[in-house]
Amino acid sequence: MVRRPSSLTFRLIAGAGLWTFFALVVVGVALAFLFRQTVERSFDARLDVLLESLIVAAEYDPDKGVYLSGPLAEPRFEQPYSGWYWQITPRDGQVMISRSLWDRELKEDLSAPEPQPHHYYSVGPDNQQIRVVERDIIFPDSKAPVRFAVAAVTTENKMEVTRFVGAIVVALGLMGIGLIGAVIAQVRYGLRPLRTLEGQLERVRSGEADRLEGGYPSEIAPVADELNKLIDHNAELLARARTHVGNLAHALKTPLSVLMNDSATHHGTLAASVRRQLDVMRRLVDHYLVRARTAAAGQVIGTRTPVLPAMTSLRTTLEKIYASRDVRIFVQGGDRLNFRGERQDFDEMLGNLMDNACKWADAEVRVTVERRDTNLVFLVEDDGPGIDDEQREAVFSRGQRFDEATPGSGLGLSIVRDIAGLYGGGIELDRSELGGLKAVLTLPASADTSVQQAAQ
Amino acid sequence: MRALVVEDDPDLVRQLSETLRDEGYAVDQATDGEEATYLGEVEPYDVVVLDLGLPVIDGVSVLKSWRGKGRTMPVLILTARGQWSEKVAGFDAGADDYLTKPFQMEELLARIRALIRRAAGHASPVLRCGPVEVDTSSATVVVNGESIKLTGHEYKLLSYLIHHMNKIVSRTELTEHIYDQDFDRDSNTIEVFVGRLRKKLGVDVIKTVRGLGYRMEPDGEAS
Repeated sequence: MVRRPSSLTFRLIAGAGLWTFFALVVVGVALAFLFRQTVERSFDARLDVLLESLIVAAEYDPDKGVYLSGPLAEPRFEQPYSGWYWQITPRDGQVMISRSLWDRELKEDLSAPEPQPHHYYSVGPDNQQIRVVERDIIFPDSKAPVRFAVAAVTTENKMEVTRFVGAIVVALGLMGIGLIGAVIAQVRYGLRPLRTLEGQLERVRSGEADRLEGGYPSEIAPVADELNKLIDHNAELLARARTHVGNLAHALKTPLSVLMNDSATHHGTLAASVRRQLDVMRRLVDHYLVRARTAAAGQVIGTRTPVLPAMTSLRTTLEKIYASRDVRIFVQGGDRLNFRGERQDFDEMLGNLMDNACKWADAEVRVTVERRDTNLVFLVEDDGPGIDDEQREAVFSRGQRFDEATPGSGLGLSIVRDIAGLYGGGIELDRSELGGLKAVLTLPASADTSVQQAAQ
Repeated sequence: MRALVVEDDPDLVRQLSETLRDEGYAVDQATDGEEATYLGEVEPYDVVVLDLGLPVIDGVSVLKSWRGKGRTMPVLILTARGQWSEKVAGFDAGADDYLTKPFQMEELLARIRALIRRAAGHASPVLRCGPVEVDTSSATVVVNGESIKLTGHEYKLLSYLIHHMNKIVSRTELTEHIYDQDFDRDSNTIEVFVGRLRKKLGVDVIKTVRGLGYRMEPDGEAS
């Protein structure tokens, strides 16, 4: 995953990583230093023991000077250049050296007296680093102090420290990786509600949800709440704007009627231009009303409309409207079926289709509804002249009236298609067995219906 | 024929009333729901044009109240609200027709005529009573194939009688349906008009039923 430097995850992980690295380096350096000291001290302790045994083994004779009463227990003093050396340096006599020193001597600085054991690093006969401990001893019969020194190469110590540092680097490295892993996991887990929030917002934007759902941790719950308020406020503004558009359009209709009626009784250019402009205004009002209507459709989630009562009301209404035409309307099916949406929208869609059918029918209009999977399929058929195949698509275009002589705004079929589309449904036109047009309207069924039907 | 226009826009009320009067209707006006409710309850209208967005009481409630009190006159709803759910609500409340603004006056008149005809039980716009033919859509009268010119009041009278042919129509009923609310009613005038009408028609289709009123019958060729 590519992380932008501005991402929270990057910041948190980078911050934790830097701090962890710094802390582990400091700990590693401190541990190495302490270990080196410990190793040095124990080495010094061994050297001290050897120095003690050298001093104990040494005797002083005023004639012969210093001599050893017996051999030392450490065999490495006997092997040449073994790395373990001793040296006795009287201020006034012959220097005594261990056999291992062969023909070399340890460089001694006799200028300063060393009554206490003194430890320091130096360079050995074969240019190796050595650790030296030295001390001045004054024998009872001698006047000048004798310098005793024991030295050993530090190779072993260095190797031990190196091994330790290696182990520590590996251990601390693993620990660092573990910590960073834990931080990543923690950040991911900690920021997961933000990702959920993002997903929910996406759903709201795409219209799948109308609010942010789910519980959020206390830190971002206020943000989610505020967002929900914003969404609600936005929806409210939108609804209010639509209501205003609708109200304005409706309110304009009465003045339009008055002007239309008055101008109709007059002749002359003024009356003619008034009539033309009124026609434009009437179209605009219709257009924006339809837009306000379709924009408001399908907004309420979780509503359902029982199909049969709605269809029966529409039939009664249309029978009254077409009372003079003697058109019979048959409604089949629909019992226990529910449309997943608002009654208003349902009335608008089926009303327009049934109205169209009644307008064109000779004597009969048939409305059938059945359930197919999760959908309701409505067939609205008439026995009128029907529409040619080529012209079927054209009737959907806004403002298109197939026959200008038949009353109607011509917006009927396009608004049906728009509203059905908002509900995820659709409409198709076909030829009916009755001879006229067959409109096939597909709408989502309410989920409850299947439960009801299964229970039967 | 007597009509009630319920509409709160003064200009539209004026237009509707003028047009309807020109067409031979006796017209009363109401500009709010309360007045409309009262007039519809007490006056015998042949047709009502009802706006839905009214002050005081809305149109649907007015209509429901009339129907609840057994008033059966045909009601045409004239409204800006053209949604199907609103139409359904209007018809459910008892409307007989529904016209959406903006409208053509001719269409309104045609629908009103159709409502009156249907209410009286006639299907065709041309009503026949023996040799007398009244074309309600053009307001023309033909007797034995010859066109006859009638004054406004004479036509109103004939139109009401022929809509209710074979039924006895009292003088009071005629007065109520031919004159509007504010007219100074005098039943003697009716007698004068009936006399003139009989003379112009030249056929005896309008019978006097003594003590009750008039009846229009098709078997009038004899005279």
